Amino acid sequence: MNKTLPTLLLASLLLLLGGCGKSGDEGSAANTAAAEASAASVDAEVEAFYAANPDFFSFKTLADLPPDLAWTSNEHLPEVGSPEAKKGGAQYGALQDFPRTLRTVGPDSNGSFRAFLLDDVSMTLTHLHPDTLELYPGLAESWAVDWDNQTVYAKLDPAATWSDGEPITADDYLFMFWFYRSPYIMAPWYNNFYSTTYTNITHYDDHTISITMAERKPDMDERGLLLRPIPRHFYGEMGDDFSERYQWAFEPTSGAYIVRDQDIRKGRSIALTRHENWWARDKKHWRYRFNADRIQLNVIRDTPKMFEAFKRGDIDQFGLNLAEYWYEKLPDSDPDVQAGYIHKVTFYNQRPRPPFGLWINTAQPLLDDRDIRVGIAHATNWDMVIEKFFRGDNERLDTGNDGFGEYSHPTLKAREFDLVKAQEHFAKAGFSRRGADGILVNEAGQKLSFTLSTGYEAMRDVLTILRQEAAKAGLDLRLEILDGTVGWKKVQEKQHEIFFTAFGRFLEEYPRFWEHYHSENAWDRAFLEDGSVNPDRQPKTQTNNLEAFALPEMDQLIERYRASIDKAEMIDLSHRMIELHHEHASFVPGFYQGFFRVGHWRWVRYPEGFSYKHSDGPGELFVHWIDTEMKEETEAARRTGKSFEPSITVYDQRAE
Amino acid sequence: MLSLNPQTRKKLQRFRQIKRGYYSFLLLAGLGVLLAFGELLINSRALIVSYQGQLYFPTYTDFRPGTDFGLDYAYETNYRELKAHFQQQGEGNWVLLPLVPYNAYENHAPGGVFRPLPPNAAEQHYLGTDTTSRDILARLFYGTRIALVFALIFTACVYVIGITIGCAMGYFGGIFDLVFQRIIEIWSNVPFLYMVIIIFSVIPGSVAVTTRIGILLLVMVLFSWTGMTYYMRTETYKEKSRDYIASARIIGASNARIIFRHIMPNVLSTLVTFMPFTIVAAISAITALDFLGFGLPAPTPSLGELLKQGTANLRTAPWIVISAFGTLVALLTLVTFIGEAIRESFDPKTFSVYR
Repeated sequence: MNKTLPTLLLASLLLLLGGCGKSGDEGSAANTAAAEASAASVDAEVEAFYAANPDFFSFKTLADLPPDLAWTSNEHLPEVGSPEAKKGGAQYGALQDFPRTLRTVGPDSNGSFRAFLLDDVSMTLTHLHPDTLELYPGLAESWAVDWDNQTVYAKLDPAATWSDGEPITADDYLFMFWFYRSPYIMAPWYNNFYSTTYTNITHYDDHTISITMAERKPDMDERGLLLRPIPRHFYGEMGDDFSERYQWAFEPTSGAYIVRDQDIRKGRSIALTRHENWWARDKKHWRYRFNADRIQLNVIRDTPKMFEAFKRGDIDQFGLNLAEYWYEKLPDSDPDVQAGYIHKVTFYNQRPRPPFGLWINTAQPLLDDRDIRVGIAHATNWDMVIEKFFRGDNERLDTGNDGFGEYSHPTLKAREFDLVKAQEHFAKAGFSRRGADGILVNEAGQKLSFTLSTGYEAMRDVLTILRQEAAKAGLDLRLEILDGTVGWKKVQEKQHEIFFTAFGRFLEEYPRFWEHYHSENAWDRAFLEDGSVNPDRQPKTQTNNLEAFALPEMDQLIERYRASIDKAEMIDLSHRMIELHHEHASFVPGFYQGFFRVGHWRWVRYPEGFSYKHSDGPGELFVHWIDTEMKEETEAARRTGKSFEPSITVYDQRAE
Repeated sequence: MLSLNPQTRKKLQRFRQIKRGYYSFLLLAGLGVLLAFGELLINSRALIVSYQGQLYFPTYTDFRPGTDFGLDYAYETNYRELKAHFQQQGEGNWVLLPLVPYNAYENHAPGGVFRPLPPNAAEQHYLGTDTTSRDILARLFYGTRIALVFALIFTACVYVIGITIGCAMGYFGGIFDLVFQRIIEIWSNVPFLYMVIIIFSVIPGSVAVTTRIGILLLVMVLFSWTGMTYYMRTETYKEKSRDYIASARIIGASNARIIFRHIMPNVLSTLVTFMPFTIVAAISAITALDFLGFGLPAPTPSLGELLKQGTANLRTAPWIVISAFGTLVALLTLVTFIGEAIRESFDPKTFSVYR
């Protein structure tokens, strides 16, 4: 018995070695590279890649730097965060689901926890100021933009280090391009974006780089200056097993929070720890942020339970965007609010608005008829949704691209709820007679009935209202409430008829049209050579053109828009495309929320003014802090029944 | 005149003597009648409308657009508003509404926003409203009706399959029995809940609600008939070895005749005693599935869906969970009492203690 185990181990080891040798001997060139890469360092591969792409990866000296660059570091910007902030304390939160991986790229990495690893915590060359949208220094201490040559120059902060102590140098930026273009990461979007958006990165010295963009877009400088490096020393070994190898490995970060191995309790909780010797802890815009020593996140799968945990004080704050929570579950009259233990805050912000609405699949029978679609738009009562479900707090969305400033259409309004107009349009499409159940039928006896699906279980009632009101116009909407993933799969396979959803919007200067409206994303081959509709075309799956929107005119506009470098022209094109989209009536604009709302225990403190003009939520910028003395005081007060001044605040200076 | 076998009459006599079960049966039967004519009690459509001297009975007919009664819209008449409208006009037109003038689907929000309302007799929401302002009484009522009908059909299907296969296994025995036992063992190990989830994820949304309920029924039957076969198999084995079966066989009776004419009546007591418990199981199963969100498709009224809403709003709207839970407990208790009484009355011994 004693001897069996070692023998077995030895045998398996031999087998393993034999396997390796074999693949090395027989495999093709690609296989060999992969096998070597999975076993050994990628250094050689990276260097070979640099050498093979000399146009993209350039190595120069400081003397080659253009002399007349206008270096800046935007010192005039008001500092983010409050000098009153105190470091320390633990912040408690909850996650709906345990993160599937600690990787920030590759399969399953795009979950909500990534914000804590990457989006909200790690640093880029520069950052957008949340009030003015100007750049402030991050990993770069100063930068310069050469618009004519589509190039940005950055001087890296020599003090910058990764959380494991290694310095952050120009190498990590070059490596980043290799990394994101590497097939190992299994992320085609990254592969494509980093090989088409950028044309060059130049290494001048360890702390000076330049990055060149392919197109001179109005936001070209941000494209270059919002890049984040990848720690080359950490990814020394990479191969086809990348996704498994780094599944639970915490990548050293440039930001303030690290995840320690002992804080990962799979399926139960995960915690972030403040990096005591964070290199940017005394820098302007950074010193008063990321204040809590520890952020403890426990998994609570059920939203009502999460709310109960918040009411007990186990969680520090809870998003109250839904009217149900703001008005019913935590009303202003709630004893904890009245006693001043829990503060309620509404903050109006300005951002591109997620286009909540009905995405009509024009590839489906009947829905390819514009009259039916216009009828549907007139038969959906969004005003009632806003009034009854959102209690009048939300606003009606007018187009699919609202909130982009000048790029959004200034005058266009969404079609109003009007039963007469709806029935007129349905009649034009042949539906003029009502059946026994009050639903319109056409001459052939076909019912005017569509499936309205969604992946938002919390918005079930929105669809219920729409269904009831549409029935008045003789339109039957069958509701299908799906699980989020199942619903998403359905639209990505283009199986839906009408889908209620929205797309997350980044803080971007101008809207993207290609994804949603280009025929290339609707059909495999939408049009024939002569411009006529291809009779054999098949819907294209796995794209964001949920409306099967394909108009040659729109394609041309999109291509001009993508090629345009003139802001005025882009604005004009944007307006024309929004009009065209409105005219096509394949999207019924729903609503948007012009604010975010949160309830927080009084020991969570925020700077004066609470948040910033363009911020997305209360935690995004980590400007809050935990006041441990106040926490003790509050907990004692809850035991004795002592109360404080209630606080229900609306910050509407930024309201649109 | 219906003539009953004296033994059956004795059993019925016995059943009537067991008061708890007997009254439960009467109550449930009464409820069944109410449920059958539910549209006359709980419905948004009026019972009678008298308009310009003519009487209308809209309950079971096609929809009537508002224009039929002098209103200005072409969609289904809102009879509650019509009643108020007629009263205001004072021209002798009138509307007779059911006791609860709401159906199970409509959102009636007196306050203008969708929120759960506590029980309120003035608005005729006797059990309050749910989170989308639908009348809880109406939803409970129709939810119970659907659950009961569902449970009855389910029981019938399970019995037909279970009895046929179980009897065949017991009667033929041998290889047939052996093979079928293995098949049943394998089949009953397929996880039911996963199958429901998988099947419903591939059914397209365009399938009508009734078809979806039918599919759910089919899936549940497919995974539930196995339990019945064990009892039938053993009972049949027992009966098969009796002399009267041997005699029947010598006379030349066919297998089908022996199974259905001779064995079946003798194992009837097993079947009847199990029936109420199968119904209980079916109601619990459908409620549990609804609670998890894999049961009857939205917006079908159901007990499980109300329970789910109730547990999510325990603090703010306790009346939802109270009504749903109360109904479920009452329903299951009634059926269980009946089941116990049946079991007892079919027991040949007069005094038995059940544990």
